[in-house]
Amino acid sequence: MTSTETAPTETALAATHAPVTDYPVDDAVLDIRDLHVVPLAEPGREILAGIDLTVRKGEVHAIMGRNGSGKTTLAYALMGHPGYRVTHGEVIWKGLDILKLSPDKRARLGLFLAFQYPTAIPGLSVASFLRTALNARRRGLADGDGEIDPSDMTRGGIKMGEFRTLIRETMALLKLDDAFAARYVNEGFSGGEKKRLEMLQMAMLKPEFAILDETDSGLDIDALQSVGNSVNALRHSDEGKDIGFLVITHYPRILKHVPADLVHIMIDGRIVKSGGPELADEIERDGYDAVRDEVAATSV
Amino acid sequence: MSSGTIAGVTAPAFTPTAATLETAIAFLAQHPGHGGAVDAATRREALARYEALPAPGARPSRGWKYDYANLPFEDLSWTSDRRSVATSPFAAAAPPDASGADHPALQTASAGGLVHLGATLLHLRPAQHDMPEAASRRDARVVILPLADAAGAAEPALMRALDTIVDWRGDKFTALATAFQNCGAFVYVPDGVQLDEPIQLVFAGAPDDEAVFPHVVVVVGNGARATVLERHVGAGDPFVCGIVEAHVGEGAQLDYAVVQQAGEAARLMFTRGARCDRDGQVRWHLAELGGALARTVLAARLDAPGGRAEASALFFNTGTQHVDLLSGVDHTVGPTTSDTVVRSAATDRGQGRYVGNIVIRPKAHGSDASLRDDALLLSKRAHIDSIPALEIAANDVKAFHGATVGSLDEDALFYAGTRGIARAEALRLITLGFFEPVIARFPSEALRDEVRSALDRKLDDATELGA
Ligand SMILES: Nc1ncnc2c1ncn2[C@@H]1O[C@H](COP(=O)(O)OP(=O)(O)OP(=O)(O)O)[C@@H](O)[C@H]1O
Ligand SMILES: [Mg+2]
Repeated sequence: MTSTETAPTETALAATHAPVTDYPVDDAVLDIRDLHVVPLAEPGREILAGIDLTVRKGEVHAIMGRNGSGKTTLAYALMGHPGYRVTHGEVIWKGLDILKLSPDKRARLGLFLAFQYPTAIPGLSVASFLRTALNARRRGLADGDGEIDPSDMTRGGIKMGEFRTLIRETMALLKLDDAFAARYVNEGFSGGEKKRLEMLQMAMLKPEFAILDETDSGLDIDALQSVGNSVNALRHSDEGKDIGFLVITHYPRILKHVPADLVHIMIDGRIVKSGGPELADEIERDGYDAVRDEVAATSV
Repeated sequence: MSSGTIAGVTAPAFTPTAATLETAIAFLAQHPGHGGAVDAATRREALARYEALPAPGARPSRGWKYDYANLPFEDLSWTSDRRSVATSPFAAAAPPDASGADHPALQTASAGGLVHLGATLLHLRPAQHDMPEAASRRDARVVILPLADAAGAAEPALMRALDTIVDWRGDKFTALATAFQNCGAFVYVPDGVQLDEPIQLVFAGAPDDEAVFPHVVVVVGNGARATVLERHVGAGDPFVCGIVEAHVGEGAQLDYAVVQQAGEAARLMFTRGARCDRDGQVRWHLAELGGALARTVLAARLDAPGGRAEASALFFNTGTQHVDLLSGVDHTVGPTTSDTVVRSAATDRGQGRYVGNIVIRPKAHGSDASLRDDALLLSKRAHIDSIPALEIAANDVKAFHGATVGSLDEDALFYAGTRGIARAEALRLITLGFFEPVIARFPSEALRDEVRSALDRKLDDATELGA
């Protein structure tokens, strides 16, 4: 098999268990510095125009902004979507500039994105997909290509029995039917089912930093409650107590289930205002124009 | 068969000429029970047809290497033989000198069958006829015979079906297969008999390269149910050109699966046809995995009400493999139904063509036909043509057709990436998933797993993926 990963630091990374740290590792869990991003399809158009954001251990940050303000682009850029190019800036995580890493390496370093529009993988069952993902995640950066050999336990494969128990328990927590595991990834899923599958993956992969891109959109009250439960179950678990969250949303209601430490307002690819949870209610009441006017008034 | 000899005489070099044919006819005259079910006059007529008929189809693409009008027949020999072997070919590692015949596939549980090494039928020692008897021991009523034996005994069920389903006069390669027929099998599952395990027909490549011309006839009686598994395994660079005829009785069901894992340089040209009586169902399953060139015609004729044909086929061309697949369902009366699903992929310099035909004739009212084919290209030099054709002459029918040709879904690769799955592994999962709709229809879990692992090995061997 060929690999098309080309980032320059990868060979160095692959060769060692301990990540090569380029930056001092401090308390900040995730540090986004002056991030500028263009889509490859339209390189002249800057979608993110300098994002600065620091999310510390255990914190929940919410990002709100109009349609098209650049929220998903930020999530994609953090995970390394091949359709976008970072023209300036860096993102430091565990002492590394993760922008140099392929998406799978970022994931194996503990990052996770719950997609706004999850992708279908026809013919691949949820169970096989998750088992492969879990094996990759558990092995971290130990092996450069991340390939697993399920028949070879010494190569880090999770035992089938252990996996079955884990997926069954996690699906029960999310009130997912057992038949879900045999279905093909996101194929023919309803909007709500797709969001629940994202939460199932998050709960099983136990990331250290999770971005939820409108996970609350299109969910009924019960599903919203179960998203809240899965986030909180993770936060209150031993592995998850330091997890950081970036919650992209249009609605303050998700923040009732997952209280945010800080709320950021994004307009045209910039964070123009940050504040406490009350900012979310303010937006709902007054709309984005009020923020825009206020920012315009103070910045001239 | 010690290699290259017929009963002590050196086997003639094969060329599709009268000279080879006359040698073959002379040999068969002295060796009753060899060959197949064709008489000398028919062989000569068939060779004349072969010479007269045009080669099928133009070259599908620029990268296509083979010209059917000028296939080289170098270093091939023609033989027809029988040989005793000490152990059941299904028990252990089958014919010891056929590399590739130790394939785990040959140990699949089965309801019996026949094994050919090249055009040599392998018998279980000691008695000449132990093999078919042992093979059919699970149900004494089932007949599994070398075609020559069944023809020699003028088995009534064979005589009713032979040459009635595939018209060998219609195609250059079926004419060639008839002229030089040198092995074959007759499978008969009587009325009402339901077999749980497959009957296996194994064609293993002989170490020295042979021209092999099998003719298989399968008759499934009224209300009977059976699975036939045709396997191609082994080494060598054989040229295998054959005919399969399947007759499915009233309310009967036949699953006919082909798992083609012939040697790297093998060329295989097969025409397989089925006919279904009232409420009879045929399900073709085809996995073209090996060989250098495979041309397959998969046909079904539904000429009694309630008949149903399913065809599920896949190929994955790596290296310089070429596969040419033509499927056809002919709805002559209604109501009859058919469902065709094809998944093909190619990488490296792999070349493929799929031609899918559905004909619904004027009397086929109330029929329902569906044809779906999807192709996946994994490298820039790989090529797959997809040419579906629906011809509908009846009213009040349902016909569906859909086709796609695409490359790897980058969004799916990214999605898997965000779950920690490296590109190469994601590519493997996505590609295997692409074939799953066809694999899922194969008639047993063991067979499905076998096809999955074979595809997985092909992915490992491919040099360019998702370029
Ligand atoms: N690949 C691309 N090519 C061209 N334009 C793009 C591309 N991706 C995003 N954009 C544009 O960038 C802007 C930001 O898109 P993005 O998806 O990040 O918005 P968003 O804030 O997530 O919106 P929503 O609330 O609707 O989800 C939009 O105007 C969008 O059309
Ligand atoms: Mg968005």
